[in-house]
Amino acid sequence: MLKWLAQVGVLALVLLFFRILGGEAAKNFARSDISFGFDWLGDPPGFSIREGIDLQPNSGIRALAVGGLNTLRVAFSGIIAATILGTIIGVARLSKNFIVNKLAGFYIETIRNVPLLLQMFFWQVLLMAQSSLTEGDVGSRIFSVSNKGVASIWVFPSTGFWPWFLIFLGGVYLSRKVARKRRTYQEDTGENGHPGLFGILTLLGIALVGWLVHPLLGFLSILWDGIGDLIGAIPAATVSLLIAGAAIVAAVVWIKRFLDSKRTPAGLGKLTDDDIFRMIFAGVSALFVVWIAFKVGGAVIAKPDGTDASVAAVLRDSFANIFYWFGDKFTGEAGSPLSVSKPAIELRGTGGFVQYADTGILATVPFFSVWIAVTLYTASFIAEIIRGGILAVAKGQTEASQALGLRRGQYLRLVILPQAFRIILPPLGNQYLNLAKNTSLGTAVAFGEIVAVGATLINQTGQSLPIVIVWMAFYLILSLSLSGVVNYYNRRMALVER
Amino acid sequence: MSVANNKDVIVCEGVKKWFGDFQALKGIDAVVKEQEVVVVIGPSGSGKSTFIRCINRLEAHQEGTIIVDGIELTNDVRNIDKIRSEVGMVFQQFNLFPHLTILDNISLAPLWVRKQPRREAEEEAMALLERVGIPEQADKFPGQLSGGQQQRVAIARALAMKPKIMLFDEPTSALDPEMIKEVLDVMKELARSGMTMIVVTHEMGFAREVADRVLFFDYGLVVEEGTPAHFFDNPQHDRTKLFLSQIL
Amino acid sequence: MTDHLAPLNLEELAPEKPPSGPVLWIKENLASTWISAILSILAIALTAFSFRGAVQWLFAADRRWDAVIANMKLLAVQSYPEAQMMRVWVSVGIVFVLIAAILAWNRIGGKIAPRKLSKVLLTIGITLLLVGLLMPAGSEKWETLGNSLLWKIGGVLLLGIGVALTFLPDERRKAETIPIMGLVAVALFGIIGFLKTATMAFPIAGATLPEDPAERLFEPTRIADSTANPWTAIILAAMVTFVVMSWLRSRSSGDGASIKRVIISLIVASFPVIFLVILRDPAIDEDMLVKFVVTGAVFAILGAVAVRWFGAPGAGESRRALASIVTVLAFIMLTFPGILPIPGAVTPFTEPFLFRLLFLTFALFSLAAPTFGGAGSALTRYVIGWVGTAVVITYTIIIVTTESTVVVPGNFFIGGLGITFLLSITAISLSFPLGVLLALGRTSSMPLFRMMSTAYIELVRGVPLITWLIVAFVMLPVTLPPGIELSGIMRALIFMTLFSAAYLAENVRGGLQSIGKGQAEAAQALGLSTLQMTVFITLPQALRAVIPALVGQVIAIFKDTSLVTIVGLFDFLHIARAAINQQSRPYNFIGVFLEPLLFAAAVYWIFTFTVSRMSLRLEKKLGVGER
Repeated sequence: MLKWLAQVGVLALVLLFFRILGGEAAKNFARSDISFGFDWLGDPPGFSIREGIDLQPNSGIRALAVGGLNTLRVAFSGIIAATILGTIIGVARLSKNFIVNKLAGFYIETIRNVPLLLQMFFWQVLLMAQSSLTEGDVGSRIFSVSNKGVASIWVFPSTGFWPWFLIFLGGVYLSRKVARKRRTYQEDTGENGHPGLFGILTLLGIALVGWLVHPLLGFLSILWDGIGDLIGAIPAATVSLLIAGAAIVAAVVWIKRFLDSKRTPAGLGKLTDDDIFRMIFAGVSALFVVWIAFKVGGAVIAKPDGTDASVAAVLRDSFANIFYWFGDKFTGEAGSPLSVSKPAIELRGTGGFVQYADTGILATVPFFSVWIAVTLYTASFIAEIIRGGILAVAKGQTEASQALGLRRGQYLRLVILPQAFRIILPPLGNQYLNLAKNTSLGTAVAFGEIVAVGATLINQTGQSLPIVIVWMAFYLILSLSLSGVVNYYNRRMALVER
Repeated sequence: MSVANNKDVIVCEGVKKWFGDFQALKGIDAVVKEQEVVVVIGPSGSGKSTFIRCINRLEAHQEGTIIVDGIELTNDVRNIDKIRSEVGMVFQQFNLFPHLTILDNISLAPLWVRKQPRREAEEEAMALLERVGIPEQADKFPGQLSGGQQQRVAIARALAMKPKIMLFDEPTSALDPEMIKEVLDVMKELARSGMTMIVVTHEMGFAREVADRVLFFDYGLVVEEGTPAHFFDNPQHDRTKLFLSQIL
Repeated sequence: MTDHLAPLNLEELAPEKPPSGPVLWIKENLASTWISAILSILAIALTAFSFRGAVQWLFAADRRWDAVIANMKLLAVQSYPEAQMMRVWVSVGIVFVLIAAILAWNRIGGKIAPRKLSKVLLTIGITLLLVGLLMPAGSEKWETLGNSLLWKIGGVLLLGIGVALTFLPDERRKAETIPIMGLVAVALFGIIGFLKTATMAFPIAGATLPEDPAERLFEPTRIADSTANPWTAIILAAMVTFVVMSWLRSRSSGDGASIKRVIISLIVASFPVIFLVILRDPAIDEDMLVKFVVTGAVFAILGAVAVRWFGAPGAGESRRALASIVTVLAFIMLTFPGILPIPGAVTPFTEPFLFRLLFLTFALFSLAAPTFGGAGSALTRYVIGWVGTAVVITYTIIIVTTESTVVVPGNFFIGGLGITFLLSITAISLSFPLGVLLALGRTSSMPLFRMMSTAYIELVRGVPLITWLIVAFVMLPVTLPPGIELSGIMRALIFMTLFSAAYLAENVRGGLQSIGKGQAEAAQALGLSTLQMTVFITLPQALRAVIPALVGQVIAIFKDTSLVTIVGLFDFLHIARAAINQQSRPYNFIGVFLEPLLFAAAVYWIFTFTVSRMSLRLEKKLGVGER
């Protein structure tokens, strides 16, 4: 009883503390005529973003979306590059070759002991010091570095990419089936079934055929549009209802599972205060989600085109838009699904303004500084994780495999890596998350990611609290999805022990 | 059963090995004949484990020659592979693969090294599990088994490669006393079936009962060598006498 | 029969030397396989190429190292008044002397074998020689540091000693005979010699600057006495301290743990003293002082009696309940001024604030008294602890409240590396107790505490630090009641502390979860209460287990302080990146970006690398991770 009194007391104090802060804030804002709300989501933000899918966003939410996509773009490419580099360096750190080992050690110790922000500045300064483009540079090339950024040749999806991609996905499924068949054949007969080779050949074959016949899938356009129409026809309130229903179902399932886990053969075990609290908490959370779903879903906001719509309707329409977008892509036009594009330097405007054309892929100075800095920085941590993971697999495992006559490649693949992966995965997921969060330092080198855009929005509108909430929601979803993936693999990898 | 006239399967001459500045083996000369059971004993740090680990090249010796079944151990990877598939090894710490089931542990090497069909490999694995007496554990994971059961699985795993020679590196040292017997019984059965074996152990009863010959190691040297009867009842070297008086 | 018998005298067998030699070494370490050999060649080529490139770049005549050299003071303490620089030197001196003392007392150093020393000397010697050989034309402009002859001579000298050492007889080469601290002393004398004699290059002030940097006029300048002399004094003082402490240590009986504790407390105390007293130099107002001292003294004395009463053996539940009510009251008084009718607004930091702060501390002490008090001497020690805490709080508030006599242009008395250290040390030390509390909350069996701690930790860790700093600079000011204003540095400090507490909490939680159930059961069997068990049994073990993670967190915070650059504080990185390249007088450093940045990187690197190495040693010493 005393314990509960103490807990409730402290909780009340904490809530009161925030209430006071909030009260002061409300007074201060009232004095300066700012009231928190979400109208700014629909209002034109009044600034442009230097790079992204939309340089002149027409609403606050669109500006944040552009920033969010920039974050995802640099985080995603950074994660891929850092994983590759980190793995190479981690393995090099384990090498018996003296100089390779020492070089990897030198890299790790240098990079991870210098603040990331400083490294970002370093790359920014280095790029800015590159020569500027002149009229003599005009023309197309494969790779180009200048004080405008780094441009390179790249492959882009073009007409007919999506129908072809659909066929390609089918190919992936089929080739896995073929490979599995060949593997069973090999195990049954002992003859080499070349499962990998057959799988790749199947995939290549289907991809090639798809390249030629993808226009045939043009008829799917009707299907996509139909789905879009169908979703658009749903009453807006259904969206809130669906979310609310899902929350309640989740809570009920959770409570049921929780009770099941407490059930012993002798019947339901004794529930502690703590257990009851957990169940109440789950129920209250679900009700909270229901409340939010109806409250926010029903709120009416102004769309950029001037009309008003409820949030639920906007959500529904954007979901439907995805299908319309696909519908547009299935035109049935012939043409190669992928196109190679080379960067070009062109003279723009009358004043002789030399810059990169829209072809090829261009990493601007801010993008490149952020990308290379987070990649190199995170790679040094990933290298240590990989090294630690492999070292943590007992030495005896290697010896036992060698004694059985397994070759290096075989025991690495069959014995060491499956065990090391299990150790590596959780900290690796953490590093991915850190990388994603670290891209926010890009705001210091004028990279238009979500924090930079949000900070500008705060300056423009004064809506600090709502924008902080948007940041939190963004990073929360990011980390939840990352940890979801990590947890999924972790469960699959878990060892059975007594 | 006399093995004196069988042919030599392992011949070691002047084998030397250093770890940094420390000399672990100071010139080992030893011969093992087909179907012979050789027990290696000695105090810890005497080089006996290093010696049998050199035989299948888990450690590389630096001087001298080791010839296993007519193949000399050199840096040539093909020779090492050939020898390793003919020499089975059982470790003190079992070293089972914790992420694979018992059946997969045993059939892994036959599948990948001998390229046997899976059904055949699994049937043989089951037969081996019968032989070591735990067929009912086939689908469990190593973490779910007792130490003695794990070591028996380890023996079955080594046997699955149909080796000509088996090396045992203190197979009972990590076991609880009540589990030692079940492992030794399996080893005795193996010895009776005519397997060539080198066993590093502290189990003197096993040495006396099963061994054809005993090697006593100390200071990285073979100090004394002889039949068990002779070795235990009438040792010659002072070190041997001292060692036996300490443990018996 | 016995087939084989070894010679009888086994112990006397002469040990043989392992096969060795450069060819074998290369074969084993660089070319064990064909792929390895190719990799080695590629790696050596890469290393050689980058090393050459680095030397050529670093010593090129058109580098602007003068921008760094001329701005050393700016980088270290920003615009701290020149006349008061003595305060900075005294502070640095205190730190060095205390470090020397603790090193001596711990008998750090030991001895090194000539063989190892020769390896180190050969490596350094070859590096120096190569630098000397590869130096580009025009490096002479940099005077002492760019003098390739000096580098070559130094390299050859070290190489010579290194080679000479290899000719020692084998046993003497392996015996650990050379004292490391002797070598350190030689190195330190070398540094003093450098400070007193070296010359550096500065652009001639007032000269018109030609476009081509190589044609700029430079003059050789000695290192100013205002820099060289203080450093000489500091190094000598540290060396003397080391010698004296070593001598005392060798004469003292026992393990000297109590003196070690004194030195460690001095080190801990030195940071607030340096930042609050020496560097800030508060001008104490006597009227205020009397008020504060009276408040503090009354609290200390009356509180001591009350704490004794609360902690007396056999004090029942009723006294504890009373203490709880007092705590809630004190908390409300401190946090919500205006709710309770106590006169005077609580702007930090005035007398009513001191009153409320002392009251809350007193309440907490009363609440915990039954746990830590007990009978006799334990209770006395606890009461003394309360008096000490009251004195420290009073003193700190007095210091913080009074104006600084150090008048500095701009809004804060120190900047540069000073701010970086101030921020990181304060954030680390303040976030530590908070982090431990949060970790205990998160692992607690009380659901509401667990929920609150979890919510805090996840919320704070959920978004990047930079968003919290933006919140600190945009939102925090508007949520404070009128009359309370916080400077930028305070805001950054508060949020860095709150942020790192969440991360520390997760580290400590890992430690708490690694403690086996057996410990808790044993403690309960001894009749300890839950709180006693946590404080005396679980927590110390948990903290010990996570020392590596905690040190990692310390390093992370140190690096993260650089983020305050983004919100406009003049920390070390900000000056290196944005202040130096704005200068046009007396020297023109406009457009000099890379050199200050690289210098800053080197400084950050030295500190973080040293700390991480120290933590490795500590880990080995404590045997963390071993059983």
